Amino acid sequence: MDVTTREQGEVLVVSVTGSIDALTAVELSDRLSSELEAGRSSLVGDLDAVEYTSSAGLRVILATLKDARQRGGDLRLARVRPTVRRVLDLSGFTSILQVFDDLDDAVRSFD
Amino acid sequence: MTDRTERIEREGDLGVLPDLLEFVDRSCRRRGVVEEDRLALRLVAEELCVNVLEHGYGGGPGWIRLSMEVDGARARLTIEDRGRAFDPARGPRPDVDADWREREPGGLGLHLVRQTVDDIRYRPGRDGANVLTATTRIRTSPATAEAEEER
Repeated sequence: MDVTTREQGEVLVVSVTGSIDALTAVELSDRLSSELEAGRSSLVGDLDAVEYTSSAGLRVILATLKDARQRGGDLRLARVRPTVRRVLDLSGFTSILQVFDDLDDAVRSFD
Repeated sequence: MTDRTERIEREGDLGVLPDLLEFVDRSCRRRGVVEEDRLALRLVAEELCVNVLEHGYGGGPGWIRLSMEVDGARARLTIEDRGRAFDPARGPRPDVDADWREREPGGLGLHLVRQTVDDIRYRPGRDGANVLTATTRIRTSPATAEAEEER
């Protein structure tokens, strides 16, 4: 699993590649925590290249969402693949955070 | 039509997870299980194995065996271990309708398993082992199986 970040104005786009499982979720969590600590709280998770996540990934999403919102920001997701979308739906996550089909829309939603 | 059961066993901690998940992927590909169902089986295997490795053995090393049978349109995953007994019928159920502030991280893994499989049951096995069996419908495609043979 790989994580790259890119700033687009005030928004930080976090692009994840690969599978988010109980082991790789730790690395993802560390990266997101660093960004939040550094003051980046307007986050877009670009999951276009993520084919799989388990509950470990959901816990990272939840923790990041809470942290970002408590700092006055937010975590929004973009380009979620069907299998990952299913996991988000089953867990009721799609009702607590915004998911966009288009990455630019997700970034612009912070305006 | 019953296929041969394939199995993998490991002694270790969470570090053995990639081997276990790769086993599920390989077994699925060999049997031509379609991608969506392969990923669903991987999810079920991960959630149940992580429970064993993290909770059953308290994070320390332990023995685990994962088996997969494909019988026509159904797949059965069996997880055996010798850690603390854990019945998937118990355990916290997440409130999937709660406001984001009230959402708790616990119970999500088992919730996903219950939403994915048709049946899951726990029984004690021989010599103090735990045996967890999850069954789910799957679809196979000859094209997927052929592609795997050529790999």
